Amino acid sequence: MTQAKRFVTTTVEIEGREEVTVVEVPAFEPRPWGKDEGLDTVGHSVPRLDAVDKVTGRARYTHDIRLPGMLHARLVRASVPAGRVTRLDLSRARALPGVRAVLTAADLPRIPWLGGEPLFGPAVHYWGQPLAAVAADTEAIARDAVRQAKVRYRAAPHRVDLPAGKASLRTGHFGVTPPEIRREERGDVTAALGGADVTVTATYRVPAVVHQALETHGSVVYWDGDRVTVYDSTQGIFRVRRELAEHLAVGQHQIRVITEYMGGGFGAKNSCGAYTVIAALLSKATGRPVRCIWDRHEECIDAGHRPETEFRVTLAARRDGTLEAIDVDASIAMGVVGWPGGPGKIFQELYRCSNVRVVQRFWYGNVSGMEAFRAPFHAEGAFALEGALDLLAQKLAVDPLELRRKNHSTEDPAKQRPYSSELLAECWSSVTQRIGWGAARKRKKNAGRFVRGVGMASQVWGAAGGPPAYAVVRLNRDGTALVQTGTQDLGTGARTIFAQIAAEALGLSMKDVRIVIGDTEGGPYTNNSWGSMTTPSVGPAVRMAAEDAKHQLFEVAAEMLHAKPEQLEARRGRISVRGGASVTIRKVTEQLGDIMIMGRGHRGPNPSGVTVHSFGAQAAEVEVDRLTGRVRVIRIVAAHDCGRVINPELAESQLHGGIILGLGYALFERLVTDAHPGRPLNLGLHEYKIPTYADIPEIDSRIVSVADPVANHVGAKGLAEPPIIPTAPAIANAVFDAIGVQIRELPLTPARVLAALNEAG
Amino acid sequence: MRIRLTVNGQPRTLDVEPRTSLLEALRDGLGLTGAKLGCDRGECGACTILGRGRPIYSCLALACESQDVPLETIEGLGSGGLHPVQRAFIASDALQCGFCTPGQILSATALLRRNRRPRDAEISRAMSGNLCRCGTYPKIRTAIRLAARKRSR
Repeated sequence: MTQAKRFVTTTVEIEGREEVTVVEVPAFEPRPWGKDEGLDTVGHSVPRLDAVDKVTGRARYTHDIRLPGMLHARLVRASVPAGRVTRLDLSRARALPGVRAVLTAADLPRIPWLGGEPLFGPAVHYWGQPLAAVAADTEAIARDAVRQAKVRYRAAPHRVDLPAGKASLRTGHFGVTPPEIRREERGDVTAALGGADVTVTATYRVPAVVHQALETHGSVVYWDGDRVTVYDSTQGIFRVRRELAEHLAVGQHQIRVITEYMGGGFGAKNSCGAYTVIAALLSKATGRPVRCIWDRHEECIDAGHRPETEFRVTLAARRDGTLEAIDVDASIAMGVVGWPGGPGKIFQELYRCSNVRVVQRFWYGNVSGMEAFRAPFHAEGAFALEGALDLLAQKLAVDPLELRRKNHSTEDPAKQRPYSSELLAECWSSVTQRIGWGAARKRKKNAGRFVRGVGMASQVWGAAGGPPAYAVVRLNRDGTALVQTGTQDLGTGARTIFAQIAAEALGLSMKDVRIVIGDTEGGPYTNNSWGSMTTPSVGPAVRMAAEDAKHQLFEVAAEMLHAKPEQLEARRGRISVRGGASVTIRKVTEQLGDIMIMGRGHRGPNPSGVTVHSFGAQAAEVEVDRLTGRVRVIRIVAAHDCGRVINPELAESQLHGGIILGLGYALFERLVTDAHPGRPLNLGLHEYKIPTYADIPEIDSRIVSVADPVANHVGAKGLAEPPIIPTAPAIANAVFDAIGVQIRELPLTPARVLAALNEAG
Repeated sequence: MRIRLTVNGQPRTLDVEPRTSLLEALRDGLGLTGAKLGCDRGECGACTILGRGRPIYSCLALACESQDVPLETIEGLGSGGLHPVQRAFIASDALQCGFCTPGQILSATALLRRNRRPRDAEISRAMSGNLCRCGTYPKIRTAIRLAARKRSR
């Protein structure tokens, strides 16, 4: 018997870099669901499977885990931004009744942490860095103990903000010589700038902002003999398992990571945290389960943030608006460590332009490390690019919508190849029609206290997803099904949509499908829930597993129906010969008795030669108070292209979520770090404002796409991150329209608006 | 110290420290983990429960000072089936991660008990103490309107 090769070595693109990797070729790939295919469950607004658990308080989050004998851990943290610990005295903490263990560098194996330096090591690189931990009978006792810690430091010079100008800087702490510079160019930008009719240059700044998931980071860990059980609030149970196994020097088979319910992530919960390692080591030391959960202040100082970034942008164009060059110099304040993703990508991908240059300077300094935050770098870059485009429109005296249409790219301008699907122009039409664009832009500004404006912005985002991702579907004797996959639900609705996909492929109703996720021992590997990858990565794996189970079922049913398996179809709990005899699925599984059908599915490679992106546009209407400088957002309309929508109600919730995060980014949010003494100041949700009810405008969000059968056989592209990208630039462009002056720094605080109005005279 | 709380109509006795917050007493003492700790200083509303029918931040109340107050938590709402506000939240998809949801539902329930048809501005005022980072506010508004409509019918 000959079999097709299952593992092939190929070149794939990961984060903008070409890498040689092994890809698993599926034994079969289901036929893509067509754009007009009549589907019974997919595409319908099924209520969330976990909604009842969530409205009754039964849903158990990591914070809610209570194990017998459980101890509570708290951390001693650095109170200087840079230097060296010269003395760490925990004797009084250790002596406190109820304290069961103390963990310092001396009690630890060497665990490489920040930039490879040991966890709890003596070198301090940011204010709030963990130095030691205690475990006690109650949280209150653990807090008392931490207060008893005596720490002395030898302070060192520190730097917490982006340097003024482009002067070279050494922090001297890390062996990293900042900035790390990456240059990318296509075409010849210098030549294009020289020959252009019109150019505009401006500098845009965005602040550091904090994810502020309501469930703070944390773990409960029980190290029991050779088994380590971890309850964790994480976006990647398998990644936490792998990293924790390395830190603890145990086998991955000894660790089980569980995330049944999770109170939000937004990008900040993508790896194994210090809390997990600390809880594990304290559990090993005491033989008891240990809970280590960040409090809200720790969430603000040591849980990641979107980095402060400055973009200097030059756009060059012909008189008719055709973009000739995009020239960008970006400085990113990474903190002590970080992930140098793609600050330049949106400039390279959003519009047609032959000459694009981006210089990306990653600066390292003495604040905690940045983390990916919903649409990392694109949300920042969109504010600069879409702002510069409106500035260019003003200079050319053309409508910003027309300028965007003029530079619309119907193929991927970065890779010069077709898209699997692309509806950006439809998104522009949809939002501008609904906001009443033409009339609103022409409306004469009144001279009174309140003045209105409208603005728009666009978005692009890599949305293919990809392998590896796996799923298993097991059929029970009574015709019900169990779906198992190792993904997790951050609140997006992943649990529900994968059950929908399985039900659709099996021909079962939702009530007959149970899905288990969020447990490394409950389902096979999937990647982190990041990059808007979960639906397009795991969805096809789940569908393939269900189709595999169905085909096995068809072999049995074919005999019962005196037909061939390929003549059969399954819908609404019945298997039928097309247009003829039928039998219920339950009858077939009962015939099998305790023989269990198990379908196996995995995600195949992405289509070659095409780019899979999501697109979208938003328009905002604002009212600016000339007296106080306050900006009120009246309305936001959104249109997005994300391929097939599995559940329209849940997709709308995702759009709302992105838009409201973007609204906070535009108007209020900023983590303020004081240069001296080098610490963040506004810790907590009184001092760091996130949007609440009274801030929410009318939101009209729609999805304009139907399905993308080229992207994958489910037809879905990523959706979670895209909606945050255009919100802040659309609001800023609306304020520009209202007051005639562009504010180039977020958030658009009353003070900045008043300063801009003064400048305008 | 030994205290006596009245939770969801049931008398409950437990031992706490004088400094123990009502939220800690409910979560750690009584195992009622529906109310969440999001900030522990009255900023986010995830710990909202009802005391004498009014929303309170249980992280800011002391357990020992809550002995005379009849308390209602999410676990006691709609006993024997879902409460109309819970059903409206499900129908409107007024939840994402669900962490703030118990507090949101209790604030909404208290609002609807004292105001059968709240206007939008009244919803904003009554609910602005319950933060949600997933961005469910528009759908919670829809759910409150739906629950109000169903009740007045």
